[in-house]
Amino acid sequence: MRSSKIIRTIVQKLFPFIVLFGLYLISHGHLSPGGGFQGGVVVGTAIILLALSYGIEKTEKKFKNRRLSMLEKLGILSFILLGFLGIFTGHSFLGNFLPLGRPGQIASGGLMLLFNIAIGIEVAAGVSIIFYALVKYRGEL
Amino acid sequence: MTPVNISLLVFMIGLYGVMSKNNLIKKIMGLTIINGSIVLFFISIGYRKAGLAPILEEWTTDGISTAIFVDPLPQALMLTTIVIGISVTALALALIVRIYAKYKTLDIQQLSKER
Amino acid sequence: MSKEMKKVFFIIIILVMATLFILSVDIEYGNPKNLDVANYYIDKGLHDTGAINLVAAIYLGYRAYDTLIETIVLFVAVTGVVFYLRGKR
Repeated sequence: MRSSKIIRTIVQKLFPFIVLFGLYLISHGHLSPGGGFQGGVVVGTAIILLALSYGIEKTEKKFKNRRLSMLEKLGILSFILLGFLGIFTGHSFLGNFLPLGRPGQIASGGLMLLFNIAIGIEVAAGVSIIFYALVKYRGEL
Repeated sequence: MTPVNISLLVFMIGLYGVMSKNNLIKKIMGLTIINGSIVLFFISIGYRKAGLAPILEEWTTDGISTAIFVDPLPQALMLTTIVIGISVTALALALIVRIYAKYKTLDIQQLSKER
Repeated sequence: MSKEMKKVFFIIIILVMATLFILSVDIEYGNPKNLDVANYYIDKGLHDTGAINLVAAIYLGYRAYDTLIETIVLFVAVTGVVFYLRGKR
């Protein structure tokens, strides 16, 4: 499934910028359009682009299946843990207990940045795992 | 021809794809088209004339807001709808891969004669 | 589904859709009548949550339960796909 040399070179040069754009969408979720789901899908698409142009074996050497699965479980568990931290400090479940800050800065909105990061990690790993499972299927169970 | 009517037309196209195509993958594509038409319908309901996107700029946060914003609630609900749409599509495609590995065909007329 | 039943089905569906299309031509587009909930979110969203993106203030601030359950739905979908496509042991 290897692509030609032109596509491999361009993807190698473009991959950090796509990941950077995805991280920008995740971290500015409370200031401009974007958020956890949108940025997570962009980062997952970058990994799928690598798998389409370099072949699935070489991509799995860099982004292992077990490590992506661990990242996905880490993302969903940290979301629930942040909710329970709200109960331990006196507010409701998933309530804002951090200071709100000045509107317009990145460090504003309380728990929103941490929520966005947890959702972004979970969605990126989930989309990549779905792609790996669909491509690597050989024969029946 | 407001976006409400156009969403109805796109729904009809998706419904035609689900009903009268024999290939299983084309039926799943019809479901995705129906999902997109519903998202378009809900977002176009919350439109106000000469309204801006619901993101407060610098000149509306100093206490006097003279701008008209569109309704932000349907947009927040449609995020959940899109994520559930891709979950359904992913699971359906996994089942289609297993069906093809066992029966070697994806035609629904031949699959209904298999039993 | 035989050919005759398919034709009758198509004609019924097309008649229903045409009726809906004709009835929806004079919808007042851009003039909703009830805006109480939207005005509450626009007026008090910045003060309650501190985010200037009102959509993020809704789905991460006022309605964070729905976002949690939606994340769990995506996780269950990924688990189901991995379960079905396990392959030869």
